[in-house]
Amino acid sequence: MPKSRRFFSAQNRREWLLPAIFIAPALAVLLSLSIYPLIYSITISLQQETSGGAVWTFGNFTRLTSDNFFLTAMAHTFVYAVVALSCEFLLGLGLALLLNSKLRGRGLFRASLLVPMMLPSVVVGVVWRLMLNPDFGALNGTLRRFGINTESLTWTASPKLAMLSVIAVDVWQWTPFVFLVLLAGLQAIPEEPYEAALIDGSSRRQTFWHVTLPLLKPSILIVLLLRTMDLLRVFDQIFILTEGGPGFATETISLYIYRTAFRFFDFGYAAAMSFVLLALTNVISVVYIKFLQAKEAG
Amino acid sequence: MIPALLFALAPVYWMLTISLKSDVDQFASPPPWFGFTPTLEHYYDAFVTRGFGQYLLTSAIVSVASTLCALVIGTLAAYALARFELPWRLNRHLSLWILSTRMFPAIVTAVPLFLMMRDLRLLNTRASLIVVYTAFNLPFVVWMMRGFFADLPRDLEEAALVDGDSRLGALRRVVLPLVTPGLAATAVFCLIVSWNEFLFALVLTQTDAAMTLPVGIAGRVTQYEIKWGVMSAAAAVALVPILVFALALQKYLVRGLSLGAVKG
Repeated sequence: MPKSRRFFSAQNRREWLLPAIFIAPALAVLLSLSIYPLIYSITISLQQETSGGAVWTFGNFTRLTSDNFFLTAMAHTFVYAVVALSCEFLLGLGLALLLNSKLRGRGLFRASLLVPMMLPSVVVGVVWRLMLNPDFGALNGTLRRFGINTESLTWTASPKLAMLSVIAVDVWQWTPFVFLVLLAGLQAIPEEPYEAALIDGSSRRQTFWHVTLPLLKPSILIVLLLRTMDLLRVFDQIFILTEGGPGFATETISLYIYRTAFRFFDFGYAAAMSFVLLALTNVISVVYIKFLQAKEAG
Repeated sequence: MIPALLFALAPVYWMLTISLKSDVDQFASPPPWFGFTPTLEHYYDAFVTRGFGQYLLTSAIVSVASTLCALVIGTLAAYALARFELPWRLNRHLSLWILSTRMFPAIVTAVPLFLMMRDLRLLNTRASLIVVYTAFNLPFVVWMMRGFFADLPRDLEEAALVDGDSRLGALRRVVLPLVTPGLAATAVFCLIVSWNEFLFALVLTQTDAAMTLPVGIAGRVTQYEIKWGVMSAAAAVALVPILVFALALQKYLVRGLSLGAVKG
């Protein structure tokens, strides 16, 4: 008896019923809690309160172009994302290449490295506020032991150093993740390409560029995609570490949207900004996915 | 390798010491990494006197409830997507769409959800959090379980169906026992994500009765006089379940966190 590729193909109307019932609850939840909020959000972003009641207008969107805070927040977000991503990627890749061998005590090692990113973001914030506290934090304490004057090193309270501090915290938290994904990717590469390269007399550098890197592309792309998405929407750690301060120094777009909605209660404007953020992350993820698919095809 | 471990764990250790140091030791300069007498006064202070115990309970209830809901709803949907071929290439479209909802920045849905919950008078309730977290975890459950189901050969199910079992029966008796490890791993992921979640809880709960542990900690940190010992004690307890889970599941974590792209 020939086996069909799937249990049922969609010929008979009756046979849709069961899968439909299975999928319906999930669809219902997602439609009401993920899709409907978006629609609701669009409607409030296109309205503004006037003395005569609510009016349909693009006002919230045009306001974006002249809002310096918005533009600064976007700039901060980009800087944060680009710098953190570069550090995490380079460090993670370097470490993965260095440690690409059978490790002993692998399980414990991996579990320990995963701790930073598994922590509640609030805990990460508390941990690093403690570490970076200018007076009794471990970092300044250690620096002082080496005789360094830490008076101006107020880290999260310093307008100049705050952005650096929050980026450093992100690098601490997520480099292990990049490392682990890339390491797994490296260890999945079979021996043959390397042997072939050796036989062909390839130098180490050439082997790296022409054998290792291409075979690692899928892992690289997925880790870059995931990190980029997370970095662009960062909120929790910065909220705890600096609340966007001092002043506006570390205010990223998510923080500004939060502040607009829940401190200034300007929900329409916050909704408009959310859509810009959403559009941005969509475009970027589509670009990444195109790269990923191109790689698989080629 | 050792430096990497130290780098990852030292800050956490530092926080743990703060939670165990008496106030005098904390403000010593430079504060000691090792040579101090530990005290549990901050833990008592946090959980008994200052009400963090309630936040802990709320976090636990919300995490477990939302994980269970997401597992049930998501596994059903995942099974259907893995085994049935729907018209108009819906399988692929639905899967991708479900995945894309995970890519949303949280703030985008947090603002309208706040307004919706306010209109429904569901602000500051555990129910609102459970429902939102279920929706939050659902894409992940579907994505993971679909992968596990797809990896499973069909023979056993087909045998059960030929023997006269119903679809649901076959699912329950034959398939689920086989994917239990995957189910467990997915469940733990969801628990971790729900336990750690901050933004939605911050937006939807502002009262002591409804706050989760992360929000409780954050609320105190951003106020004027910060009692670091108490904060660290609360944070230490917040991370204990995570550590346990991380150790138990480190094999699955890399695969899960990279959406199955890379086998850990």
